[in-house]
Parts: sequence; structure tokens; C-alpha cells
Amino acid sequence: MSAFTKDRPPDTVPAPAPEPAVGPPRRRLVTRRARPVPGTRIPRGMRGPVAVSLLPGLVLFGTFFLVPFLVLAATAFARWSGLDFAWAGLDNYRQMFGDPVFLKALGNTLFYAAASVFIQVPLGVGVGMVLALRPRGWKTLRTIIFVPFVISGAAYALVFSMFYNPRAGLLNNALGAVGLPGRDWLFDTATARWAVAGTFVFIIGFVVILVMAEIAAIPGELYEAASVDGASTWQQLTRITLPLLRNVIGTAILIRLLVDIGMFDLVFILTAGGPDDATATLALYAYRSYLNGEWGFANAVGSVIIVIGLVLIVAVRRIFRIGERAL
Amino acid sequence: MGTTRRTAAVTASAAALLTAVAGCGSGTDTSATGEVVVTCATCQESPTDPFLQYNYEAAQRFNEQFAGQYKVETIENPNAGSGDDRLQYYQRLALADDLPDLFQLNSGEIKAMEQNGRLHDFAPSLEADADWADSFYDQAFDALTGPDGQVWAIPQQRDAIGIYYNKELLEAAGYDEFPATWDEFEDLAAELKSEGKIALALDGDWATKLMWANLIGTQPGGAEFLGEGIVDLEDWGDDPAVVQATERLRDWHTEGYVNADAFSGDFQNAAAPYLTEEAATVPNGPWFVKTNLTPEAAPGLYEKTGYAPAPGWTDGGQGTVVVSGAGWVSGATDEGELEAVEAFVKFMSSQDEVLTQAQATGANPPVVVDAAAAKAADLEPLATGLIEQATDLEHAYPHARVHGPAGLDTSWKNLWPAYVKGDLDTDEFLERLTVDSASGQ
Repeated sequence: MSAFTKDRPPDTVPAPAPEPAVGPPRRRLVTRRARPVPGTRIPRGMRGPVAVSLLPGLVLFGTFFLVPFLVLAATAFARWSGLDFAWAGLDNYRQMFGDPVFLKALGNTLFYAAASVFIQVPLGVGVGMVLALRPRGWKTLRTIIFVPFVISGAAYALVFSMFYNPRAGLLNNALGAVGLPGRDWLFDTATARWAVAGTFVFIIGFVVILVMAEIAAIPGELYEAASVDGASTWQQLTRITLPLLRNVIGTAILIRLLVDIGMFDLVFILTAGGPDDATATLALYAYRSYLNGEWGFANAVGSVIIVIGLVLIVAVRRIFRIGERAL
Repeated sequence: MGTTRRTAAVTASAAALLTAVAGCGSGTDTSATGEVVVTCATCQESPTDPFLQYNYEAAQRFNEQFAGQYKVETIENPNAGSGDDRLQYYQRLALADDLPDLFQLNSGEIKAMEQNGRLHDFAPSLEADADWADSFYDQAFDALTGPDGQVWAIPQQRDAIGIYYNKELLEAAGYDEFPATWDEFEDLAAELKSEGKIALALDGDWATKLMWANLIGTQPGGAEFLGEGIVDLEDWGDDPAVVQATERLRDWHTEGYVNADAFSGDFQNAAAPYLTEEAATVPNGPWFVKTNLTPEAAPGLYEKTGYAPAPGWTDGGQGTVVVSGAGWVSGATDEGELEAVEAFVKFMSSQDEVLTQAQATGANPPVVVDAAAAKAADLEPLATGLIEQATDLEHAYPHARVHGPAGLDTSWKNLWPAYVKGDLDTDEFLERLTVDSASGQ
């Protein structure tokens, strides 16, 4: 011990820190183990059980996603017909990007995705917000809106193929009843893409349900405070509800985009991609290549679909800050 | 356990496993009763497909007749019916060296399957049994034969495909019988159109290509195109018969002689207007009667319906599509199983069975049957009448859909509507059709 410490005069001892003027008395820091939150490390004692519980999922993921994905990624650089195999470098990709049908299919896929983002999701959000106000008959309306979402794509496509039938379909008959000319909506290059998009952009059930669930979770105090401050219903919807729906809107867009970039069954049943590839999608383009015995080429198309999907996931998550708390 | 014992156990286990694997791969499959078992992928029960249902019942009869010796075991196969998926399904099985012992393919599919070398060649069996070989019609094997004389399939039927027409509607338009030339047919179509009727019901696939084949095949050189040119020619637009036929068929659509929903590829789009008497004619094979034109489905229409071959470009130039339909093929390699397969296809091409099939499905026999037996079988007249007429016609040719490249269906459905609506000219349409069809091989 130093002489200085030993000889220090009593008046130099530091004074105790003053108690805060208001608020509860200070408590000891929490020392018990807190519940893990995203981003924290798994407690040492839990690592074994967590690993064991993850194992089945990892095995399934590896078997049914990772291995096929690696095979797809590798064989995309090969000429592979199932019988013959030869490495081909970037040939498949050169051929693909030089093929006008691929560019058409890419354009159509993005068109369907855009139709979802700009028509389906806003429509679903709007209807969800209105239904959340619980107008008369909202439960019945919610059920009716949700029904198309649970019908299989194939059945849905068959219904719409009858709806669009130029000879006996409901649409042309309705137009005829008001003196307007009918068309062959699905097999006319001018209308086919719009007709296909028309079959799914009004399936808004899942967006409506997501929105209603999110709105139900918003604390009522926010609206009460807004009312006290004189905010109208419209202002409450646009200034409180809508900003708090950011996460769920992003999620809806993301889900829809992922469905659209892999769109196959609707188009296959309605038009088989025609006429003159006016409705073909990337998935259909890949399927045709597969039917033609060009498996390596089909896998190259598949890899492009995966890359587009990943880009969209990253972009939408960033734009809508999915995962961050909105409140 | 000592090292020696452990080594012995491992060796014994490996040997047992190898024996089991080898046994699965090459030995004859036998049932508990010692019958040789062969698998059939087109012998399942079907409430909607009369051909599958007939195959199922025939397989049961075969099993009864050959009980203790051979047995056909049914594989439930969702791809048993014709369609794009059927070829892919069997190609996948061929790659895995796991083809069924018995199944059916059409000639276009057989061409696509030829390359993998997994189909059994029936030529030696036919050579060894001259009586059996001679029982078939002369042209029955034409579309089922390989480049080196291989016979990849035993035909299940041999049909002349014609045009069914509504006699009452034709009479109202001033025609006592079906037109004999294409010009007369167009006059009839114009007359029907003026009366608000559809002259010709088409579907964008089977029936449309049937009329395409009729228009091609009834021209000089047309049958050659439908036989070889459709497979070998690099641009179908180089054949004037094809160009003329294609443009004439397109014009019928643009003139309004054809139903407006003739592009979906679903035959029901052609059948519906005929069955509701909106359309005066519909082209199809004899099975149309069994599957659509039953008295229950169309009350009164059956009596009004007549059948005719395709008109010609000149007087007396009528013709008809003749198809062997789907033939029986085999993926068996084991000798014992091949013996059973041969017994089965001989059973299926026996006089009794082909007549039973004709009664059940409306399809015509691939083998010559004696007149008394045919009369006794009392076959459906609307389904079988054309086969008698066909013997006197100037032209006979295969169907483009059955004999063309495997990719023809897909590319036709894609390009035909755009061509009819004027997005493509004839040159571009035929060139792209050739290229796209061939890429499906």
C-alpha cells in the first residue's frame, strides 16, 4: 500500500452519489438468465438439445433442398439430356439470354409480379383496413373473400377458362348483353397476358387476413389518443394504421412475388404459355426445356429463377424493413 | 465377436445383399403360385377412359386363361392416358432402367423412345410366328417400325378417322350428302354460316390437326409428307401441299366457319358445339361415338349423325387418316417375362379380343377378322362404317399428331392461335412449327 493512500486526509474521501430526485429506488441489475432474443447466443447448456431438435429439419433441408440445389447449380453448366452429359461452361446461359422466348418469359413473369404488387396487395390492404373497422356483415365478407385463396390453382384455372370462353363464356355473354363485342381473351396476343393476370390479382384473401390480424394487434390507446387530439377516421387510418402495417405489407408483397416468379399451373392450364409465348413464364419455359430433354438448360433457367427470388427477398426486406418492429 | 467371425458375418451379409440386388435386377418375377408376373402400366380400371377399362378387363381374362403360367399385374399409373406427360414419365423410367413390362405408346412417342434403346423389338417374334404376323393388316406396323426394321409395338387398333356430320343441318343447308371436294365443303360452310351455324367444330389440337392432315393428305405428295417429311423436312414451309393446307385451314377460322373457342386444345371444345347442334360437323375417330355420341349424351342426335371421309381437292380425291393408335410396347428384358409379354400381345390381337375391344371402345381391329365373326359381334355402325369405305378411297395417310415429332402438340398449341389471328405469316408459322416441334424430340 502506498504512503499516499495511507496518509490521505479524511476530507478527500469521495462523497457518495446522490439519490435520484424522483422515480423508484435503484435496484440491482438482473442477473438471472434472460430469455434468448434474436441475435443472442444460445446458452451453453442448451446447445445440445437445440442441436438435436434442429437435426431433423436440417436433414430434411439438406436432402430436399440443399442437395437438389447443388445438383441444379452444377448441372446448369452442362449439356445434360438424362442420357448424355457434357460440361458446357456458360453455354446454357448464353443460349438462354440470346433466346427471345426466354426474354418474353422473363418479361411476362415480371409483369405478373408487378400486377400482384400494384393491384393485388393494395386492394387486399384496402379491403383489410375497411373490414377491420368491422362494418355490418364483415365476417361473411371476409369468408367470401378468403374462399378463392383455398381453391387449388388448377380448379381455379378451369373455372376461368370457362369464364373467358369466347363462344359460351360469362364474360363475352355479359359484354354481348350490353352491346359490346367479345374477344378470345386467352388466345389473342393482345389480351392473353392481361386475361391471365385477371385470374389471380383479385385473389386477395391472404392479404386481407394478414392485414386484419396486424390491425387487431395495434394497441387501442393509440387510436384513443388520436381521437382525443381530434384525428378523423381517415387520418387514423393513414397516419396510424397504414404506417404500422409496413411489416405485413412487405410480407404480403414478398410472398406474392415468390409465388409469381414460380408461376406455372395457372398459365399451363389456361394457355400453355401461348399464343406465341404471350403468357409464358420462366417456370413454364424451364418445364418446356425439361420436356425437350434439355435438363441442363432447364436447370440454368431454374438457377435464374432462384437468383431473381433471392434478389427480391433482399430488396423487399430492406425496403419494408421486415423484421424490425414497426411500433 | 472375434475379428474372423466379424469378417465372415460381414462377407456373408454383403453376399446376401448382392444376391438380393442381383435377383431384383434380372431374374424372372414369379408369384407365390409360380406364375411369371409381368407389370402393365396401362391396364388399370378407369370409369372415364374406355381403352384403359378394356385393357383392365382383357388383362383379367388373360390372367384367368393363363392362370398358373402367366399373370399381368396392374401398375396404377396417372400418366396412362395420352398426353405430354406420358412420354416424359416413360422416359424417366427408361433412364432408371425400370420400364414396365407392358404399356402403350403412340408412334410419335415410340420415335422419341427409340433413342434410349430400352424398348423390346418384337420383329423376331413376328418372324418366328408367320400366322400371327399375317393376321395383321398390311399397313398396321408402318408407324411402329424402327429404322432398321425393328417392330417396337404391337398395334392395338387400326382406325380410319373421318368426319361426323349432322344430316338434318346439312339437309337444311341444301346438301343430301357430305361434300366430296373441299370447294363444295366451303360452299356448305358459307351456307351454314349464313344460317347462324358453325360449319366445323375444332379444338386447337387433335381435331384441328386432323383436318390439317386431311387437307395435306388429299393432295399429291401429301401422304409422303405425313409419313416421312413431317419427321425429316427441315422447314415444312418448303412443301407446297403443307402451305396450301395450312392457309386453307386458317382461312376457315378467319371466315367464321369454325367455333370461336377452337384453340384450347381440349377436344370437348369441339365436341360441345356438335353435341348441342350448334356445329354441323366434327372430325374424330370411331371412338367419338362411344365416348361422346351415345344416345344418353345427345338424345336424337345419334340418329341424325352420318360419317364421311375427308373431301378431296378434286372429284374422287377423298381420303382418310389411318392410325394404329397406341401400340403395346414392352420394357421387359428377362426371357421368362418376355415369354409372358409375347403371350399377352398375342392374346390381345386374337380375333375374339379385338372384336371385344371394338365393342367396348369403338376402335377397329388391327387384324383381319372374318366377316361372319364381325357380323356376329354386331359392331357399332357409326364407329366402324368408315373402315369399309376407306378401302375404296384414293388417299390414306397417318395423323400428323400421332406420327409427327413429339414436340408438335406443344408448339402447335402455342403458335396456331397467333397464326390464325394474324400475328405470324405462313412462312414464319411453318418454320417455327418445324423447329419447335423437332426440339421436343
